[in-house]
Amino acid sequence: MGKKDYKEIRKVENDIYELLKSVMDPEIELDIINLGLVYNILYDGDKDVRIEMTLSTPSCPLGDAITDNVKNTIKKKYPDFNVDVDVVFDPPWDASMISEEGKKKLGM
Amino acid sequence: MAKNLHTDNAPDISTVKPHFLFAAIGFFVLGVLLVFSTPYFFSVYYDHHLLAVTHTAVLGWLMMLIFGSLYQLIPVIFDTALYSEKLAKFTFWLTAFSISFLVYTFWMGDYTTLLPYAATAMYLSLFFFVFNIMMSYKNARIKNFKSLFILAAVFWLLLTETEGLLMVFNFKYNFYSASHLYHLHGHAIMGLVGFFLMMIFGVGTTLIPMFLISHHLNEKLLKKSFYLLNIGLAGLMLSKYFFSNQLLIILFWLMIIAGIIYYFRYIYDSYKHRMKKILDVGMKYTMLSLVFLSLPVVLSLIMIFMPQLGLQTYAETIILLFGMSMIFGFFTTIALGQTYKTLPFIIWLEKYQKLVGKYHTPLPRELYSEKIAGIQFYLYMSFLILTFFAIILAQEWLMQLSSILFLLVTGLYNYNVWKMFFHDSEKYINKRDKEILNN
Repeated sequence: MGKKDYKEIRKVENDIYELLKSVMDPEIELDIINLGLVYNILYDGDKDVRIEMTLSTPSCPLGDAITDNVKNTIKKKYPDFNVDVDVVFDPPWDASMISEEGKKKLGM
Repeated sequence: MAKNLHTDNAPDISTVKPHFLFAAIGFFVLGVLLVFSTPYFFSVYYDHHLLAVTHTAVLGWLMMLIFGSLYQLIPVIFDTALYSEKLAKFTFWLTAFSISFLVYTFWMGDYTTLLPYAATAMYLSLFFFVFNIMMSYKNARIKNFKSLFILAAVFWLLLTETEGLLMVFNFKYNFYSASHLYHLHGHAIMGLVGFFLMMIFGVGTTLIPMFLISHHLNEKLLKKSFYLLNIGLAGLMLSKYFFSNQLLIILFWLMIIAGIIYYFRYIYDSYKHRMKKILDVGMKYTMLSLVFLSLPVVLSLIMIFMPQLGLQTYAETIILLFGMSMIFGFFTTIALGQTYKTLPFIIWLEKYQKLVGKYHTPLPRELYSEKIAGIQFYLYMSFLILTFFAIILAQEWLMQLSSILFLLVTGLYNYNVWKMFFHDSEKYINKRDKEILNN
């Protein structure tokens, strides 16, 4: 499979963005997109996807469960993809990153 | 690759799980003992049956829960793995045996034949626990006031146990010049304030803001709380054992109370700035426990100013109320709350970490019955209110009624704990798949 053009790349990235709306933070009970935990979705147009994301707290004991969920969710639809989840704490996450929809769901 | 995750250092579930199971059984045994101990609440607070009840509560229930929770939280608080999981497993079996042995000897009132052996076994198990935590702290990559609270707590635990062991041997060899009761107070204060309060404060500074999702808290409040609590307690113990100066004792008690107030302020900030506005049952218990902590604070003030207030005739009742409000009002309430927060996550991680994203998985809170947890919450609050009225009014029938309520609480709690332990992930996934297909 050859490399895709910009439009197709954006389409896959948008699709992954939608897929990640099913990945929940089990404690906050909100998906990681609405929580604002996902900073970047980078698809190389071939088989490599890199997700740059953070956690609600650096000491989050559920970190592995969330990153495993991200990988499994993407691989369920794109089994051939190599998914790399990069957890970063810069910038640190805070409440301002939660979407309006997310705030509503959390009763904020 | 995911980086910097604390779960990399998480202990094996087999190290943590038995502590929660023993604690649940210990909680039920506590309920049974309480039902059979009601007449003794109206004798003297150091009656041997009440000592059995107290040690079941603080060791069999609370300490086992703290051991399990702390092993799980060491990677989060210290950013390192537990020093030795093998030692932790060995310590569990020795502690389980020692607690059972110790409670049995207290219940039988056997202070000279069996108690020295039981107390020595208990001392050894606590020593191994303290050693494991201190060695983990040595490797800690995070050394702040949160981890210092833990370190100070295990230091006080060692002192508490040393005093306990010396008291037991004093029954046989009689080397103390002061009365047993005098030493019992020191042992109880070091244990309740030095170990349990300090440990819960330490663990709470990580867990409470994490569960409430609140950031940018004022760490200076923690620093002040830590110094006031430790200097106050050290001063109190030195004044008690070496100077016997009443004025100094009052001064150091006030320092401890100021330390608690600073901690309150820290948690209040976390509560005020929380993002998770709706509190689940676990956090309801937790926040209420902190409100309840004001009761022993007020009672301790009454205790230190007892002569000035002319309340000496009520000394026994006030001391009993102080002990009960600490153990049941604060420690047990927060322990119940935090079990409903941490245990579902521990079990959920064990059963579903490898399955998330591949199948529809439940939320951690769906592993237990929220309805049962809710009923348990209201029953427990009723138990607390009834118990305090029973002690103040010296009504044995009221105490009997409240102890039956407590036994019900322990039964409901055990139902939920065992429900989580026996949760079958395969069955859940198959059931969910069928539901999705049918829809």
